[in-house]
Amino acid sequence: MMDVASALQRLANYRTKNSRASREIFESGVIVFRNDALHKLGDDSWQFLESLALAAVDVGRVDVAEACLKHLSAKFPESPRVQCLEGILKEATEDPEVALAFYQRLLEADPSSLAVWKRQISVLRRLGRTETAVDELSKLVDTFYTDVEAWLELADLYISLYQYTSALQALSHVLLLAPQNPFYVLQAAETAYTAEDIPLAIRFFLMTIDMIGDDEVSPPPTGITFELSAARLETDPRLATSSVLRQLAREVIETAQASQHGAESQASLIWLRR
Amino acid sequence: MLGQLILGVAMVALFHAAFSTYEHLSHLKALGRPETSLPSSIVLESLLALFLGIIGACVKAPALKEITWASEMKTRTIDDMDARMGFANFVTRGRVLGQDGKSGPLATAKS
Repeated sequence: MMDVASALQRLANYRTKNSRASREIFESGVIVFRNDALHKLGDDSWQFLESLALAAVDVGRVDVAEACLKHLSAKFPESPRVQCLEGILKEATEDPEVALAFYQRLLEADPSSLAVWKRQISVLRRLGRTETAVDELSKLVDTFYTDVEAWLELADLYISLYQYTSALQALSHVLLLAPQNPFYVLQAAETAYTAEDIPLAIRFFLMTIDMIGDDEVSPPPTGITFELSAARLETDPRLATSSVLRQLAREVIETAQASQHGAESQASLIWLRR
Repeated sequence: MLGQLILGVAMVALFHAAFSTYEHLSHLKALGRPETSLPSSIVLESLLALFLGIIGACVKAPALKEITWASEMKTRTIDDMDARMGFANFVTRGRVLGQDGKSGPLATAKS
């Protein structure tokens, strides 16, 4: 059984990283409530209630989420964030059309509400209305250019529609807005490989390897698609290249697997020798 | 521990030098002599306190933290970066599976 201090620590961690670890957040939240430690969070307690409500909806405990929402709407009566949370609860419990009508009403009252627009697009995507979702999302990124999340969602939407060049365009905006992040460069590299643009993919892979440093296990798993693109580059007669790239790719895979043990690491090493 | 010790010694030396100065000046006042410059031992003691205090503060400093972007990115995972919480879909299998895969409507008698 974990204690309150480690639960609070873990919750603060998830808050800063904005990760979607719903089960862990729910369990830590239950521990905090069971030990009556809500006051220890101080000002963060409202943000904690919000993330607990979202995690509760994700694991299916709508009762806990409704209790959190009641606390939050008592404290912040007309807040847009609380209304957004209310909309999410509607999405989880009622017909999607009801949720869509709710969001439409909120958007008519306040057309510049970014969070409500994003929820509307999420519901549209879930219902399968992809053309409407793409249109709305394009309008959103035209209005709020600096929102990295929205550009990433647009790229994901295009990838699901197999339109890889449009996805690459969206990802290029992401790379402009968040240039220090190797994960997005890796996503651009793999999208370029899928779009059959091998030289671009190689460029992005080399950028990723440059960003993450060369003597440690890399958190973004760079190796295998890099090796594939290096192999494709070698066999293409129009492009003059050397085997240095392939060497680098093998090194990346081998350093990544060197620190791990077990069947999966052996599998990638065996695949390397094919 | 060592840093705190050195810093403590420096504080004691400083207070001792200050008190000695006070005593010296009140001694001169009692004897009616004019104020001359301080005895060199007090000056040396206060300089020693400064030196020891600097060393103690440096030794006591907390551990250095990483400041590069690369080191920050090493602590993140790809799931954090892909989360996109603003667009997250909350109508998932969690509703029927429950929070540990056993307690939702699909749970059977023998888990």
